[in-house]
Amino acid sequence: MESVINVSELTRRFGATKALASVSLSVTRGAVHGLVGANGAGKTTLIKHVLGLLRAKSGSVRVFGLDPVAEPVAVLSRIGYLSEEKDLPEWMRVDELIRYSRAFYPAWDEVYAEELRQTFALDPTTKIRNLSRGQKAQAGLLIALAHRPELLVLDEPSSGLDPIVRRDILGAIIRTIASEGRTVLFSSHLLAEVEQVADHVTMIDQGRIAQSGPMEALKESYRCVTVRFAEPRPRPPDVAGVLCWDGGDREWTAVVHGDSGELDGAVANWGGRVVAERAPSLEELFIAHVGTPADPAREA
Amino acid sequence: MRSHAAAVAWEFRQRHRWGLIAVACYLLALATFKLLSLERGQPITFDDEQTFAFAVIVPSATAFMYFLAVFSFGFAGDLAGRQSIYPARMFTLPATSGALAGWPMLYGTVAVAILWLATRFLAAWPSDLDVPLIWPALLAAVFLAWTQALTWMPYALPGLRVIVTVLMMILIDIVIFTAHDSKASEVVMLAILAPNIPLAYLVARFAVARARRGDVPDRRRIFARIGRIADLLSRRRDRFRSPASAQAWFERRRHGRSLPALVGILLPFELFLLFLFRDTPVLVFETLCAVLLTPPFMAVFVAATVSKPNLNGSDSYGVTPFIATRPLTSVSLVTAKLKVTIWSTLATWLLVIVTIPLALRIFGTSPMVIEWTQKLVEAVGTPRAVVIVLLGFSALMASTWKQLVQSLCIGMSGRAWLVKGSVFLALSLLTIMVLLAQWVFENSGVIVTLLDAFPWILAVLVCFKISAAAWVAMRLHDSRLLSDRTLVIGALCWNVAVFALFGLLVWLLPTVLFRSHFLALVAILAIPLARLSAAPLALSWNRHR
Repeated sequence: MESVINVSELTRRFGATKALASVSLSVTRGAVHGLVGANGAGKTTLIKHVLGLLRAKSGSVRVFGLDPVAEPVAVLSRIGYLSEEKDLPEWMRVDELIRYSRAFYPAWDEVYAEELRQTFALDPTTKIRNLSRGQKAQAGLLIALAHRPELLVLDEPSSGLDPIVRRDILGAIIRTIASEGRTVLFSSHLLAEVEQVADHVTMIDQGRIAQSGPMEALKESYRCVTVRFAEPRPRPPDVAGVLCWDGGDREWTAVVHGDSGELDGAVANWGGRVVAERAPSLEELFIAHVGTPADPAREA
Repeated sequence: MRSHAAAVAWEFRQRHRWGLIAVACYLLALATFKLLSLERGQPITFDDEQTFAFAVIVPSATAFMYFLAVFSFGFAGDLAGRQSIYPARMFTLPATSGALAGWPMLYGTVAVAILWLATRFLAAWPSDLDVPLIWPALLAAVFLAWTQALTWMPYALPGLRVIVTVLMMILIDIVIFTAHDSKASEVVMLAILAPNIPLAYLVARFAVARARRGDVPDRRRIFARIGRIADLLSRRRDRFRSPASAQAWFERRRHGRSLPALVGILLPFELFLLFLFRDTPVLVFETLCAVLLTPPFMAVFVAATVSKPNLNGSDSYGVTPFIATRPLTSVSLVTAKLKVTIWSTLATWLLVIVTIPLALRIFGTSPMVIEWTQKLVEAVGTPRAVVIVLLGFSALMASTWKQLVQSLCIGMSGRAWLVKGSVFLALSLLTIMVLLAQWVFENSGVIVTLLDAFPWILAVLVCFKISAAAWVAMRLHDSRLLSDRTLVIGALCWNVAVFALFGLLVWLLPTVLFRSHFLALVAILAIPLARLSAAPLALSWNRHR
């Protein structure tokens, strides 16, 4: 599959802080790629490198096969971007914002732009400064989508927004997916959203990629197993392949890499039995990979 | 932090430490100067008005204005907005509104009072001046307290804050000047000023309490109709021809009106002086000179906003993601700014050129100017007179534009340390130059040496300029920001401009007085090159960090 974004061994420091450490990532055409990570994990730094707002000082970044710093026009004209900062010019009116943005994109779809404006109920004569936070996000989304970009980049698009605006943003992503050949890269810490729309996911933790791959394959390679012990246990047993335990007393739930066969045998030795087994949610997987375990002390 | 008072003090100290250190350094320099002069046994006093102004009045007035901005939270707030400029984040602190208003007021008033007392004791004042001790300190405190109270108040209309505050300052000024002119004693002055502090505190407490409960009156509907008409006039309905024209429109809306508006506000007041001085030719001449120098002078201040890539936050110098992700090259973004500065310069000068003859005619001073023109024609001949006038106007226009663009490369770099460092360096250099010039003019031997060495000084400056330009050209080439063809065309245009100016100077000025190589050096230094061509590099450095 053709790669739209190719990041190779990207390392970035801000003073003493290592924001990205040897990050390699490939986003294929047509993929909806979710970037998940805690606040300060490096998601925005990675996205800024993709947009050319940060120069790759170590490693390389290619978007559509081009260096976004050296060729900003060729790269940015094919990207729709919604910033986390919602930094639209406050003095512009909505219609001025649309007219101004249209000038930069030959493929601007007027009908689609008007349709989006009406869907979002944005008054063209209202100044951006008078829009609510949600409306600002909708206005930003409008100008990011109306030129039908080949790559849609959304940085924490629904951060701090109400469920209705979040639904609009998810709807926009889904519409973009429906358009053939369009690619979406979006970062979020709302994992349910990512799980809902992404077909690929990359988990970033402290500047490193903790896990990356197709969503289904990732979820299929882990199991969420609930174990009940005969006696209450202050700590869960230490079993190979278990990423983390959660629970207490007699009932504990483990996220296990691979199948749960080894865990079955191990818990039987400790007087327990598996009472339930299911595929983990993305949130459970994320916490298992990058979260602090509920009880790090393990019984040997 | 042990208490709310300590936390507020810590915030002021931590946030403005460099500014406060600079003020402390200035006071230390004053003290050192005075100590040295006392040690010599011959007290040195600034009997010369200009030197005293540069050494004492300007720095201490700047420090006072800085304190006004710091302690009223003016750096962080929107002065033109309706909401209080008191930081909203502090409203949720577990402190009374009295404490929220009181502590910054106490720290501010004490700081400005100390500033005055330090200046009073440390500066070498002119020997014939009887400098009062207490009441100016209290006056400074009153100014600050009222500034705080009135800027923290929520207002019904945008911009009302500035008007109310300025009017209050004028009112205090009038009362104090009247009392001073009436030879009021220090006790009377104190009696006039002292009640203002508690009064200002009560107003400030009310303002903070009102802002804290979100009580912001709104009377904007009164002006809604006018606003709609203005919006209709400025509305563009047609498509932009290109991304470059869209960006030029963006820059014009953001920065283009500032200089014409500022000059437009000042001009009526300046030109009215022609009426007041209509019987004194020297003052009419000086007024006209002041009017003509207004655009380049105001351009210095407007340049700070033109070069700033991000106007959303006062502390932010970086390009916003919205602008940084425009599918335009950094050169195109800078070009849009340059186009707007040209538009802004032309609009400003159109305003000046139209209003001056009107004012001369209305106030009956045009015969005076016609007479001067005739004298000029008689002295140098008609062609030279026409060229001198045209060249004068062109030089003023070019100077206005140059002021607008010459700091672009600093402002667009997006590095706070570079911007603040350059301001500090410029002010330091200015101070040194003024003191140096003072010293030079007092020593005739130095003047002769300096005049002999002047061409060499210019030659060194030209070497610096050409070296810097060569470095910038190489960087532009290496970073592929500009093509080879564009670089060559740019260099050719610059050469043509230099030769044209050189030819004009040779034709205009007597070569007996000004050698041709000297005029060539002047022409090279006059046409902008290095800093202007560094602007795309600076923006690229900012945009792709």
